[in-house]
Amino acid sequence: MTDMQTKDTRKKDTWQRARLGALVTGLLPLVGFVFPFVNLQGKNLTGVSFLATILKNLSADRGHLLLGGGAALLLLLLSALCAVVSFIVYHKRSYDGARRGLPEIVGMASMVVSALAVFFQTISILYVKKAVEGAGLTDSFMVKDLGAGYYLTVIFAYLGLIWAMKKMRIHPGHIVLVIMSVVWLFPIFYIVMNSFRGEGSFYVNYIIPKQFSLENYRQLFDAGSKFHYGRWYVNTFVVAAFACVCSSLIVLATAYSLSRIRFRGRKVIMNFLLILGMFPAFMSMIAVYYILKGMGLAQSLPALVIVYSAGAALNYYVAKGFFDTIPRSLDEAAYLDGASKWTVFTRITIPLSKSIIIYTVLTGFISPWADYIFASIILGDKSGKYTIAMGLYGMLSQDNIDKYFKQFAAGAVLVALPIAALFIALQRYYVEGLAGSVKG
Amino acid sequence: MTNVSEKKKDKAPLLSYFLMGWGNLRAGQIVRGLLYLLLEISFIVFFLRTGIGALQGLITLGTNQQGMVFNEEIGIYERIDGDNSMLLLLGGVVTLFVIVFFLILYFTSIRSGAEALAQKAAGKRPASFRDDIRSLTNGNIHKLLLAIPLGGLVLFTVMPLVYMILMAFTNYDVNHQPPGNLFDWVGLENFKTLLASSDKLSQTFWPILGWTAVWAVFATFSNYFLGMFLAILINNKGIKGKKLWRTIFVLTIAIPSFVSLLVIRTMLNKNGVINTQLMELGFITQPLPFLTNATWARVTVIVANMWIGIPYTMLITTGILTNIPADLYESAKMDGAGPVTTFRKITFPYIFFITTPYLISNFIANVNNFNPIYFLTEGGPLTLDYFKGAGKTDLLVTWLYKLTKDSMDYNYAAAIGIVIFVISASISILVYTRSGAFKNEEGFQL
Repeated sequence: MTDMQTKDTRKKDTWQRARLGALVTGLLPLVGFVFPFVNLQGKNLTGVSFLATILKNLSADRGHLLLGGGAALLLLLLSALCAVVSFIVYHKRSYDGARRGLPEIVGMASMVVSALAVFFQTISILYVKKAVEGAGLTDSFMVKDLGAGYYLTVIFAYLGLIWAMKKMRIHPGHIVLVIMSVVWLFPIFYIVMNSFRGEGSFYVNYIIPKQFSLENYRQLFDAGSKFHYGRWYVNTFVVAAFACVCSSLIVLATAYSLSRIRFRGRKVIMNFLLILGMFPAFMSMIAVYYILKGMGLAQSLPALVIVYSAGAALNYYVAKGFFDTIPRSLDEAAYLDGASKWTVFTRITIPLSKSIIIYTVLTGFISPWADYIFASIILGDKSGKYTIAMGLYGMLSQDNIDKYFKQFAAGAVLVALPIAALFIALQRYYVEGLAGSVKG
Repeated sequence: MTNVSEKKKDKAPLLSYFLMGWGNLRAGQIVRGLLYLLLEISFIVFFLRTGIGALQGLITLGTNQQGMVFNEEIGIYERIDGDNSMLLLLGGVVTLFVIVFFLILYFTSIRSGAEALAQKAAGKRPASFRDDIRSLTNGNIHKLLLAIPLGGLVLFTVMPLVYMILMAFTNYDVNHQPPGNLFDWVGLENFKTLLASSDKLSQTFWPILGWTAVWAVFATFSNYFLGMFLAILINNKGIKGKKLWRTIFVLTIAIPSFVSLLVIRTMLNKNGVINTQLMELGFITQPLPFLTNATWARVTVIVANMWIGIPYTMLITTGILTNIPADLYESAKMDGAGPVTTFRKITFPYIFFITTPYLISNFIANVNNFNPIYFLTEGGPLTLDYFKGAGKTDLLVTWLYKLTKDSMDYNYAAAIGIVIFVISASISILVYTRSGAFKNEEGFQL
């Protein structure tokens, strides 16, 4: 009984604190408004007078800015209100563990409101300049003119959101994930937007195009273009496809032999591969180039296929790790039934190794698709034989970037799309293979 | 085997030292024996016709320089082709490989002959050629499976590598380019110039080595810890939509890295979106020199690399996280451990234990990490303090690439390649002694 009582008191204490916390975190962002908020031509304005000035001076055609600035303020006030209401509501009901009814609704509302407040507060830094200059307060506003009050508001708004989320048992880590996702997705968003931009050259001071068009994509495949994008695309695909088949077979054969068969010289071969792998892969490229030239293959696509496949045996390690995990008793049972090693390899091992085969094929296709170094040395200046990586790289040179940047964007999207789709579809196998590579 | 040959006093073993395949022929393995014999004959022909010359060429690397000689009949200067040191070196290396290959076959033929004779003496029928072929899918399947992989490796990796290693001991730089000029053996001269001299090369090598080390440390550990943080965060029970979050970050792995790096480069350009937007929004008045100022560029490549690297570590760590025994956490919770303590005492040691080999091989991979540097800065900003073409963010590998592709100082490139090998190998020894220690342990223990 005493145990239950202490538990009850503890619960009550937590909720007393929760009420207080909601109130404090809801009201705190407003505190920022009484501190120096912004420095205009050497004069410090507090948040209150700053907002008042802006709202008074903002001309009508800057409506959306008004909306933005107003929204931020409104939402801050709302979240403060929610805080007060939840303070009162919680007071009237003792918390009994059931998460239903008014407190929950108020809690959820205050969380949503403060999430919105945080959002507007965060992006307000992006439009404060326009708002200030639009209001005619100054014509050279810099973000560094913002004062302590402004940052206090932002920080407190975040604290309020974290508090509200905690109360609703929603992990505050979501905030971090949202911010990180924005950072990670921004470059992708940026390049996709630019690939559809119909107007301007490289240098524009906005992100979302004024005019969407497919012109950039069309120009890429224009026969008269300086860049033979279409041909590069086919080149890359053909090379990657052939190299993928060859290198996958090589990797699987090597890994299988070194994993499942005990023969004289096995250790020697493994150590030999290990040492070879420690040299920078393209250190010997010049020599390879001359050897290929001796074979009459230099500056050609078959040469690239050879280069990508010939060294593939060095990447046997992941697949070997996988083959090691297939029970040996399976093989032995088959041998007893009179199966040859070839039968065991093709009928037992291969069907059991779907995931590692997909992993090998996937990486075997992607790495030539994305390779620049080997292609640049083997193909040299033969631009008709270029692969995508080389071609796109050339589009960004000093002389080309202004004129061809939008085409580059379209080209980049087209290169990335099939690979990304393939990758996402086969993600599971990739993760399995990657996990296998760590166990070393 | 030896017993049998002694007993029979057969001449065959002795003869097969001179006539390859003799033992097989005597034992009835006609096809195999003839093949060996044919091989020996063709090797001798090859050796006498080109092999000797090639070996001499390997030693001298050419004696006649290309030059102009006055032809009195026509009355003009004519170009006389000289020796091509590069081809002589390549030919020499190829010949060396042929000799080694022949020697290996030579010794296998002797053993094979002796075995066949022994079998015959024991009353068994030695394997026929058809049996040999058939055994390739069974007892000798590794020979079938490994022939092409190892053959390709020898031809396109080992041989070029030997050629390149030898090049480190010549003066094959931009001033000694065949066919116009000859180059010659110089011993350890290149290493001396590179490592210990007042030459510009040495003044470039050490700072670049230093930056390579800094880069590798930061690139490895920033990705490692932040990726781990991200994985743990997404894996947290309270996080909703785990699959969505993972897919967002996996998307950046799915895009070929040269594409994302080139995109990031244009974004960080003087007129790129980051600078224009920062100016537009009133953060700055002048474009930031992300990729054009040495210090800025160095920080930028490390940060930009995180964009690519963090999702990788996240994927790897996610797999490990799900394998941590749940009872560890339960008992920790019983003991009143908070999230920080659980991370410090359970999660981190567990992940660290499993990923140490990965961490170190990742470090080596970063020493050799060509893409982020080359696609973001091309090694720049260039500086006059360095050897021509090398820049402040160049790693040893990107410098190697430039020395090979742009300035054609193959000897220094080769020497740097050897230095990188020495670095990688010493770190790898660390990995393998460590993972050897792992294997002896029962597993993860707190």
